[in-house]
Amino acid sequence: MSNMIELEEPEATGHQMRDEIRTISDRVRRRRQLRSKIMVTLCAIALSITAVPLFLLLYQLFNRGLPVVLHTGFYTQLPQTPTLITPNATGGVSNAIIGTLVLSLYASIMAIPIGVLVGIYLAESDSKLATSLRVISQTMAGAPSILMGLFAFSFVVRDLHIGFSALAGSFALAVLMLPVIIISSEIAVRGVPNTLREAGLALGAKPHKVSMKIVLPAAVTGIVTGIILAISRAIGETAPVLLVIGGGYINSWKPLDPVAALPLSIYENAKSEWPSLRTEVWGIALVLVVFVFVLSLSARIWASRKQQAR
Amino acid sequence: MDQEFMAQVETKVAAPTEAPERGTAAMQLKNVAVSFHGRTAVRDCTFDVTKNRVTSLIGPSGSGKTTLLRALNRLHDLTPGAKVSGQILLEGTDIYRGDITVTELRTRVGMVFQRPNPFPTMSIYENAVSGLRFNGVKKKAILDEAAETSLKSAALWDSVQNRLKVAASNLSGGEQQRLCIARALAMDPEVLLMDEPTSALDPIATLKIEGLMTELKKRVTVIIVTHNMQQAARISDDCAFLLMGEDRAGELIEFDTTEKIFNNPIDPRTLDYTLGRFG
Repeated sequence: MSNMIELEEPEATGHQMRDEIRTISDRVRRRRQLRSKIMVTLCAIALSITAVPLFLLLYQLFNRGLPVVLHTGFYTQLPQTPTLITPNATGGVSNAIIGTLVLSLYASIMAIPIGVLVGIYLAESDSKLATSLRVISQTMAGAPSILMGLFAFSFVVRDLHIGFSALAGSFALAVLMLPVIIISSEIAVRGVPNTLREAGLALGAKPHKVSMKIVLPAAVTGIVTGIILAISRAIGETAPVLLVIGGGYINSWKPLDPVAALPLSIYENAKSEWPSLRTEVWGIALVLVVFVFVLSLSARIWASRKQQAR
Repeated sequence: MDQEFMAQVETKVAAPTEAPERGTAAMQLKNVAVSFHGRTAVRDCTFDVTKNRVTSLIGPSGSGKTTLLRALNRLHDLTPGAKVSGQILLEGTDIYRGDITVTELRTRVGMVFQRPNPFPTMSIYENAVSGLRFNGVKKKAILDEAAETSLKSAALWDSVQNRLKVAASNLSGGEQQRLCIARALAMDPEVLLMDEPTSALDPIATLKIEGLMTELKKRVTVIIVTHNMQQAARISDDCAFLLMGEDRAGELIEFDTTEKIFNNPIDPRTLDYTLGRFG
């Protein structure tokens, strides 16, 4: 009814009202556009504040690191302590490169099978054990990494009398990697649609076959991404290996030998009194960054190929 | 299909002259009820599923059709809080308490789901033989033959025989569903459960699968859940009509030949439903 009455009002009034509405909406629009500009500017400032240190870091890394890593001796030689006569004789970091590879290899061998299996179990089971395992692994994911080193030191080095070794170091790294692998595997397995599990069961497959032949292949992209993330994290860790690997000055792949590691070499070289050793730090850092970069890049490429193949 | 097999089928179909009009039962349901956490979802289901016939389960949403169907291959086993009571007999053996393992049951009672669910990481061939693989068949000759026979039975062989190694997800929805049928048939089941197998498909793919079922019932007994009454009328020989009771639990209202259910049902509610007055 009220609509009818408004329609009957003289046309002039309607025009006036429309004009007024327009001026108000113009004002409102201008205010909104201004507010929007301010917000965009603030976002841009925040972005540059974040980006500046990142680019500075990369600049430093390449500027100081590249000259170091361009010497082949850097990869093939063992480290040397400079003397007053040869202050620039730093040798290379072959032991640390091998050490880091060895540590991540053994740590992966320990952590991947257990982590993936526990992840599958957590995703497929609702038992009390699963719930408590989940809480434990989430807590472990947030635990300070030096704790893993301390644990490996007292348990592997001392209690098991294994001594300073690659094994002790990779044990510490494996404990560090486990929660990452467990959590990402659980998420990946949970993402597999239930209809696939039922299809397997309906064909008379036993539950473990369903997990291994249907669920695991369908979840493998997510699982592998999680594994790579875990390895990337472990490669860069200093604290867990600091106390246990012994910093060996030899190139060795044996699990019971003491080994060096790239992050640890950074730490040790950085506090050296020799400027040449301190310069070398940037080369080591560059190698480490390239390692991690290549790992995550290959994981991404692999995952996207796998996705396309479906 | 090979001629020898067809000849066998024909004798099978021609034979039941001495038997009563209803053949032997592939499955018998006696007072079957399914409940979840003590809440009854479907109850009072008593009927025989006759061999080499298509039995359809019809009824509005919530009447427990799918729940009942999933009880027939013990798919509720892994659902926490699910309980199946009454008796379900497969060739006279109680499938819940009798001398039969759940794996054996599921190889004898196959299932096709509402949405096509081929295994995405497997090829067409791998999908077709997946059931055999899961149950330990390794010989390539057997697998090859099973793949060919089952894909032929699912009317898929001609279009996929040259791309068996291609990922199953490259097929269209209708083809995927026929691959799922082939996957179930490769186990050579006695009974095939189909849970609204065409509800996710377009009309042409639906017709193909319906046509397939008429062929299929010569070698397997088909139990199909469907929302589509025309479909039930077109393809099924027997029909079970379920309805949600006052306490929101589904119950069997009537079971008879499809012809009687649609033309001359005993219960007025059945007539109301088949005429489209509700549901």
